[in-house]
Amino acid sequence: MSFKRLSILFSVAIFCLYAGLILSLLYFYKGPLFLEIILSERTLFSIRLSLFTATVATLISVFFAIPSAYALSRFRFPGRQLIDTILELPMIVSPVALGAVVLIFFNTPPGAFLQEKGVQFVFTIYGIFLAQFITTVGIAIRLIKAAMDEIPVRYEEVARTLGASPAKAFLTVTLSLSKRGIIAASILTWAKALGEFGATITIAGSMAMKTETIPIAIFMRLASADIEGTAVLVLILVGIGLGILYGVRFLTGRNVPV
Amino acid sequence: MPRIELKNITKHILKEITLTVEDREILALVGPNGSGKTTILNIIAGLTDYKGEVFFDGRNMDKTPPHMRGVGYLFQDLALFPHLTVASNIAYGLKMQHYPEETITARVDDLMNALHIKKLRERYPQSLSGGEKQRVAIARAIAPFQKILLLDEPTSSLDAQTSKYLRIELCTLLKKLEITAILVMHDLLGAEEIADRIAILHKGAIEQISRPGDILFNPKTKMVSEFIGMPNILDCDDCRILSSGLIEVVSGNMTIVLPYEGNTIRKIAIPPHDIYISDTKPPGPALNRYRGTIAEIIPLRSMVRIRVDIDGNSLLTELSAEAFDEMNLDIGREVFVIIKLRRLRYVEEFEDSRE
Repeated sequence: MSFKRLSILFSVAIFCLYAGLILSLLYFYKGPLFLEIILSERTLFSIRLSLFTATVATLISVFFAIPSAYALSRFRFPGRQLIDTILELPMIVSPVALGAVVLIFFNTPPGAFLQEKGVQFVFTIYGIFLAQFITTVGIAIRLIKAAMDEIPVRYEEVARTLGASPAKAFLTVTLSLSKRGIIAASILTWAKALGEFGATITIAGSMAMKTETIPIAIFMRLASADIEGTAVLVLILVGIGLGILYGVRFLTGRNVPV
Repeated sequence: MPRIELKNITKHILKEITLTVEDREILALVGPNGSGKTTILNIIAGLTDYKGEVFFDGRNMDKTPPHMRGVGYLFQDLALFPHLTVASNIAYGLKMQHYPEETITARVDDLMNALHIKKLRERYPQSLSGGEKQRVAIARAIAPFQKILLLDEPTSSLDAQTSKYLRIELCTLLKKLEITAILVMHDLLGAEEIADRIAILHKGAIEQISRPGDILFNPKTKMVSEFIGMPNILDCDDCRILSSGLIEVVSGNMTIVLPYEGNTIRKIAIPPHDIYISDTKPPGPALNRYRGTIAEIIPLRSMVRIRVDIDGNSLLTELSAEAFDEMNLDIGREVFVIIKLRRLRYVEEFEDSRE
């Protein structure tokens, strides 16, 4: 077997693995029950909550990620390497551990003060925003930085000599040229936020009709041995996730490195 | 109108550079790679930090950021904005400086006409040829009414013919715009066509700064002489205009025929690599062909320099090491020397040496 065929075989095998797992969900497909679960108030709430919190968390993440990614892409400053390493935290530390760190923080005097005088995060929707934000912002910065790294600094230098201030050069040249990369990064961040579970359940809990996002609802149904309900919710999550990835490819016209 | 002064500039390889470029003067910085030419441009544009002082018309610019210096910069890689059309690229600087819309439109149209790129208005840079990109980049650099223009190798990426044509246009345009310009160029010949003065840089220091012909005919240091190719300089003792656009120049006992452009020829420069040596008598007419004797052989890394005595004149020639080995040449051997007619360069005379 040629090397080319062998490598293709590997990719097909991985595809079969995922496709088989998704198709196995249909084993439990029962038409009327499927519709009933989807249209139930609890499921619809979970879908709405997940879509809303993922969107808000993504907006906050991208808002912080754009200037951070620009700084890391363009400037050399003390502590840059440290910041760059910390960004890997959501990738190397389990989301549950991250959520636990946040919970522990809220039990320290500054954390307690923030909860009392500022925003109540624990067991509220704000906790979901926070959980999704801390698990996605590092990835958003990574992806946007990669997009900005591809834009030569020379364009900004040209803009500066033509009368653009540093901020204007950034807005009219770098941001404009990395637009597609930023959109792709935003969509992937959104998909990641949508599927976030560990940190969310640790900080916001699993209260039905209050903090129950789709992943949490999947966990709750599985915990109560509701296989059909679990399969339906997983299909919904997979459907949204795949739809988003196709959206990314449509917008960027190429495969997006995650 | 800006006069540029650099005082004791130090940065990377540059060591205490002091340089003045007069208002509306075109200065060419010429030198080998890594001599600090582009660094000087970046310092004037404010794109890099430095030690020393930069003045525009006596005003210290050291704390002025690049976008407030009013310096147009044509980078070697052009860096046209790929997301903007040709017209938008040219208009970019004007928009950044908040010119009214009608001024922007008029200026863009004027520059596109002047640089013959009107038909490219709605095209994107990716679809342009090298020469077209060069013209668009020039238009963009000067569009916001800059009074100083820095050009880094403005014609280096073009073929010889396009490059020469653009150099002539650029020279006309710079004079018309009454702009102070500093060009970085790698070849002296190209610089001579555009510049009022030429500065030869080597290892971060200015070796010589003179008017174009002066560099070629009066190199001040060994480095400059090496850099310009150690040309053979011959004094012209007598001239006779021939009927076919040629002039016959007598130097010592040699008679050399040159293209005639109506100048009074005082000196001729012949680069060593434009003089061929043959150990057998070459065929064809006897124009610019001489018999001489090898007086000196100077082996270099990949070539050999040979000094040949011809009727009292001494000419330096160059041969590749391979060709030298094949020809089996030695001091005292008689050889035939051929001077390339088209590549001969000559000056009429400098104003300060006019009799």
